Amino acid sequence: MSESPQPDPDRANLHHVTAADDIADGERIIVEVSGREIAVFHSNGEYYALSNYCTHQGGPACEGLLGGTLDVDDDDELVWACEDEIVACPWHGWEFDITDGTHTASDEYRLPTYDVHVRDGDVYVEL
Amino acid sequence: MGSTTEQRIRSIDDLDVIVDTDFHLTERQEDIFPYLESPFDELLNSQQGDDYGYLGRVYPAHGMVYSVTIGKADSETVRTKEDIQKGRDLVEWDKAIITPTQNLYLGAVHHDDLAAALATAYNNWLLDKVVDPDDGLYGAAIVAPQKPQKAAEEVERRADEDGIAAVMIPSGSVDPLLGHESYYPLYDACERAGLPIKMHNAAGTMMTRFPSTWQAMDRALPVHATSHNMMHQTNLADMLTRGVPERFPDLTFVIQESGLGWYPYFMRRFDHDYMGAKWDAPMLDKRPSEYLKDQFYVTSQPVEGLDDPQYLNETIRHFEGEDSLMFSSDYPHFDFDNTGELLKILRSEFTSDEIQNIYGKTAERVYAFD
Repeated sequence: MSESPQPDPDRANLHHVTAADDIADGERIIVEVSGREIAVFHSNGEYYALSNYCTHQGGPACEGLLGGTLDVDDDDELVWACEDEIVACPWHGWEFDITDGTHTASDEYRLPTYDVHVRDGDVYVEL
Repeated sequence: MGSTTEQRIRSIDDLDVIVDTDFHLTERQEDIFPYLESPFDELLNSQQGDDYGYLGRVYPAHGMVYSVTIGKADSETVRTKEDIQKGRDLVEWDKAIITPTQNLYLGAVHHDDLAAALATAYNNWLLDKVVDPDDGLYGAAIVAPQKPQKAAEEVERRADEDGIAAVMIPSGSVDPLLGHESYYPLYDACERAGLPIKMHNAAGTMMTRFPSTWQAMDRALPVHATSHNMMHQTNLADMLTRGVPERFPDLTFVIQESGLGWYPYFMRRFDHDYMGAKWDAPMLDKRPSEYLKDQFYVTSQPVEGLDDPQYLNETIRHFEGEDSLMFSSDYPHFDFDNTGELLKILRSEFTSDEIQNIYGKTAERVYAFD
């Protein structure tokens, strides 16, 4: 994500999504850009864009519940982590980290991600 | 040990080494009672008493109407070195990990401290009467899962004994399951000692772990056909979820006497579920099946499907058995496998080196023979 205009990306690659205020923190919207369904999340003050097509079996991955997950700390004790950064595909419960598209359990599956730019109160994704 | 890659393996005579990873004693409690230590020596060995014909048995009897136990079929007794030699002549192993029979029920003994004392007594007897590393006779030190801390101490006591090549948990009646943190001192002791843990159930121990299921299957056949693999799947699922192989990365487990087909099924089944439930097993850094391939081994007997070579070869390939399957005879138990039976099938699929692995080379790497 980039909030500053420099270096200026090629304007043709930027696609307007919505006004930044339209996506409250912890929310998302799903838009179609150049034939692709893309989810734009607003989470913990940052914006993230991911493909809404699950790499598992094609489910609408980004329409699932957004939350955190259990992890272990250095002492192997259970801790809550990644609040509002884990989306669970509604088809099979596969969980993805919206900050980089990675599947929580495997490097073999990953949702494609797109750069997000916020300019003058508007949100753009770069394709 | 030169390369055997070029040599075609036609029979067991062509094998460099045969290691039987599950060769049973049929010990009686009277064999090991004299080896009890205080206070159970005094408690159990002072007076004869009248046990009404059965109450003197401290190991719970399952009461299953089973062909061997009711005298419908004959099975060898293995309580002395002479008995062992008789079985060795049949199975033709070079080395064996000698395992118990009655003490497969140790985890069901209804007195935790006595169970720990019986483990110690069995190991005393084993070292005194059975083990002989110069002759290839190695033992698995047994531990009582009822007392994990004492089990850890038992491992430490036996770790430097010549001829103790593994530790055995009678895993069929463990409570809690083997992923529980109460066992971590035991795992830590085994890992430090470099001793793999053999997990071995007995069909009858299911009576304590799946009591209502046991009651419902009121014959020996359904119990024996299902309980071994069912209990192993239950323990493995618990151990993986709680991260036991991640917590003890240098510890090796050996899964015994449960057949093969369920194992590649379980790998894939558990991986499949894990993909949607990573939050429930946050200790893991790899797929569950990768931990199984890296730290778990399987012994062969009883191989199902000897009349279906394609099934058996494919099944073994499905869990990379060329690196993780180890021959075992299970002698003298009634479903033991003759040494050459599996080999006849493996020849059509596996290379000579892979067959050598399955019959002995992998076991030589896994067990603490030195």
